[in-house]
Amino acid sequence: MSTIQKEKSRAAIRVLQGIIIFGFLVMLGRIIQLQIIDYETYSPLSMQNSLRMELVKPSRGLIYDRKGIIMVENQPIYTITITPAKFNPDKVPILAALLKIDEELLFQRIREAQNFSWHRTSRLFTEVSFEVFSAIQENLWQLPGIGHTIESKRHYPTDVNASHIFGYLREANLEELQASDYIRMGDYIGKSGIEHIYENYLRGERGTEYIRVNAYGQALGQYNEGDLNIPPVKGTDLITTLDADIQALAEKLMENKQGGLVAIDPHTGGIIAMVSAPQYDLSKLSGRIDFNYWQELNTDPSRPLFNRAISARQPPGSTFKPFMGIIGLHMGLITPQTQVYNPGFYFRGRRYGDLADPGNYNLVSAIAFSSNTYFFWMMDRIASRGQLNTWSSLIQDFGMGPLNNVDLPFERSGIIPDSTYMNRTFGERRWGIGDLMSLGVGQGMVSVSPLQMAVATASLANGGYRVQPHIVSAVREPNGEMQYTNPVFEKIEWIQPNYLTEINRGMMNALMEGGSRYYGYIPGISIAGKTGTAQNPHGENHGWFIAYAPADNPQIAIAVLMENSGFGSVSATPIASLLIEKYLTGEIKREHIYNHVLNFKARIASSQPIENE
Amino acid sequence: MNDKREFSWVVILIWIGLFSIGLTAIYSATQGPVSQFLPSYIQDNFFRQSLWVALSVVALVSIQFISPRLFQEGAYIVYAISIILMIITIFFGVEVSGSKSWLRIGPLNFQTGEITKLTTILAAANYLTSRRNITSENLKTAIVTVMIFALPVVLLLLQNEAGVAIVYIGILPVVLFWSGLPHGISLLMVAPAIIGYFTVLNWKWGILATFILTVIIFFLQRRTWLTVTSLVFGALVIIGTEVALHHVLQPHQRARIEAFTNPQLDPLGSGWNVLQAKTAIGSGGLQGKGFMEGTQTQLRFLPEQWTDFIFCVVGEEFGFIGSSTILLLYVFLFLKLLNIASNQKHPFAQLVIVSITFVYFVHFIINIGSATAVLPIIGIPLPFISYGGTAFLTNTIMLAICLNLDFNKRTFSIYR
Repeated sequence: MSTIQKEKSRAAIRVLQGIIIFGFLVMLGRIIQLQIIDYETYSPLSMQNSLRMELVKPSRGLIYDRKGIIMVENQPIYTITITPAKFNPDKVPILAALLKIDEELLFQRIREAQNFSWHRTSRLFTEVSFEVFSAIQENLWQLPGIGHTIESKRHYPTDVNASHIFGYLREANLEELQASDYIRMGDYIGKSGIEHIYENYLRGERGTEYIRVNAYGQALGQYNEGDLNIPPVKGTDLITTLDADIQALAEKLMENKQGGLVAIDPHTGGIIAMVSAPQYDLSKLSGRIDFNYWQELNTDPSRPLFNRAISARQPPGSTFKPFMGIIGLHMGLITPQTQVYNPGFYFRGRRYGDLADPGNYNLVSAIAFSSNTYFFWMMDRIASRGQLNTWSSLIQDFGMGPLNNVDLPFERSGIIPDSTYMNRTFGERRWGIGDLMSLGVGQGMVSVSPLQMAVATASLANGGYRVQPHIVSAVREPNGEMQYTNPVFEKIEWIQPNYLTEINRGMMNALMEGGSRYYGYIPGISIAGKTGTAQNPHGENHGWFIAYAPADNPQIAIAVLMENSGFGSVSATPIASLLIEKYLTGEIKREHIYNHVLNFKARIASSQPIENE
Repeated sequence: MNDKREFSWVVILIWIGLFSIGLTAIYSATQGPVSQFLPSYIQDNFFRQSLWVALSVVALVSIQFISPRLFQEGAYIVYAISIILMIITIFFGVEVSGSKSWLRIGPLNFQTGEITKLTTILAAANYLTSRRNITSENLKTAIVTVMIFALPVVLLLLQNEAGVAIVYIGILPVVLFWSGLPHGISLLMVAPAIIGYFTVLNWKWGILATFILTVIIFFLQRRTWLTVTSLVFGALVIIGTEVALHHVLQPHQRARIEAFTNPQLDPLGSGWNVLQAKTAIGSGGLQGKGFMEGTQTQLRFLPEQWTDFIFCVVGEEFGFIGSSTILLLYVFLFLKLLNIASNQKHPFAQLVIVSITFVYFVHFIINIGSATAVLPIIGIPLPFISYGGTAFLTNTIMLAICLNLDFNKRTFSIYR
């Protein structure tokens, strides 16, 4: 080799050495950058990669009746989820086969999920069978973007449906999400009933779990043997004042009817049974929503979602009379001995009809036989003396009119007119005695809900105490600790025991001698009650019945409103009577009355307006 | 007879060091705590690679007994045989993940493209040493050399092995440069790659690179036509790259380029590998997470972590200490081989050793560059470390030839 060539190759070696050293330095610099300088960036990234934090939903609190029977519990449901951005559309045939459904339906569901969000996880199918669930679980590795969770839905193990009491759960909407720090997208929350009111108790506290996953999202087990996991806290149980047997019976009796019913413990205000008919089927609204059913509920003219027991506004009719009697005694308008003659009507500017037999009536017989004249006469005196506002506030003391703050949503106040109300309705000085007369017999502008009537009836039964109606008597924390609610129980100052004695006699006689004796009287049980019929300008009149029993030591007070059913003594009385019998004796002996109620159909509108019974 | 002390034991030590790191990383990637999720044929990788290492030891020793002259004399024949094998592979090969580059011989699968690397080098070296040196006036020799390289490149493209083809294209300028191709023209040959790389990052950088390279070429060669050619090439490369990026490339190809320039654009799709590779290496830190403790490796966030992404396994589990050890072993090996080459008297031996060094170097740059996101991801293995029997055997044979030539440098005379 020549010297020149040697020189040349030495220069070439230098160049090549330079290239190699340059390449080495670039790579060295790069790993220094990645491993030393940016270590703080990548270390947490690799941590996040391999760990998946999963929220663990707590199980929702259970709901018990007063005897400890579970009425609402949880049932596991299997759900398949999708994150559209990660899903590969080529996998549709495999997924459809695993789900055992049509590809077209699957495509539709995926599109819906995409419309919601590409990057968030949505439910693809809920309540799939366990077999389908297991099949998906085994094939998750080849289904990117598909996930699975076990959720739970409400289950109602007893005959009690109590749709308006328990209420249904739904996915939280945007407003609810924004209003709460706790609720997350896709969470189910109580939308009505006590599920709604006691949402914060029932839901419990979410837990978190750290799970090691590989790149395919396959869970490989707990991270650090679950050291970092926070277990969920089970929801608080609710102990209600409901009696599952009575509630179930009440629902059965109200089937195919329209109206509301509230049975209350007069010493506590605890609601023993409450029905608004028609009901809706809670189990159909639990878990996967039956969309057609939901549509049906919302368009049904009988408005099954409306809770008539606490939101209806109807004139109480003659069930108003016992309260008129107490007010009359208190205001000094009457004494127990006061007699009023009924010629068949009461005349004040015009004739006010009275269907009771003509003759003299005192307070007891006026209640027992429901003579209108007696109460028109009383109302005439109140109106003439300008004591409308006194009357109104005394009536409201019974719980009629204002809200009773029951622990249910959508409670509505009633209407007990006073001068302000009259001025607003008719204009100042544009109303007179004639507009007030019918208030005396519970007609006209006065209107109440079954709940208000039950609360008022409870005051008659418990010696003049105002109760606060409630469903939940206690909550049981997950650690077993009980917390009792503290409902108001307050003496209505002005009610004297002797007033109540007279009313009690009148209401007992109504059941023994009056119009409600046939369907209302229970052999061996003293029962005090009063029927009523609310005039309905739009159709058949509404029947009312209020009662408490046993009359000497009342355990239950009840108010029943039967819409478009005519006489309360035929429609409402037997229902209340059967419930009282069942509650006090544990059984129903009067088969024929039970059958009468089950077969009872609201009648076609009668042409004659009926003002009393 | 030569003295055994003249044998380059340090090269053997580096070789042992590299394949030991390789076997460790392959073991970790395929036998880790959650390896039950891997297919069984991959779980066997460690065992198979160990067999190939044993076979390679035999090959390495055997080759030392061959006369160096034989490499030169047999060069064209083995080149022809390997080309024929590649053609056979195209028709009768076994297809593995989209590339038809495997030939089944008995129980063993061979990657014919790997063996051809060696035979091409031998053939080109034999051809070049039998001719006059290349000059800027006489480029015919250079063109024939290009043809020798072009043949396997075309066959590799037909086999759908573009990654391996890049290695041939990478060492060609080195071979020509060593054989006397003027520096300016050599630089002109690599210029498109450099300009293309910067244009992908940003076309303004591409223009800057063109000007800098043109100035260097002007000072090296001082020929107007070359300088003008350089400028025209540069402009064509920039325009070509831009047009290719936005109009010619298929969406999935473009996605791969975009994944390199901006992996965050599609972190779950094409950017996934880039991000996961960087995360694996970066999270290793100084000391690494420990053998079989790397979450990225063990939980399979990286594909092909026993071959193309094996550097990430070492980087994650052994940290900067592990990855810088690999870099140092390689740079010592390359510099030692260049040193051996410069001590050779016979130009054939020189050229063969230089070319082999640069085969390793190109693999090294592309593999580690891909893993560390310095380059777009091109799937080729890391010499002596990645899983892959044929590649390991071929690389060892090439090393053995370098050692043989060095050992026999006194007897391997240019004078017949």
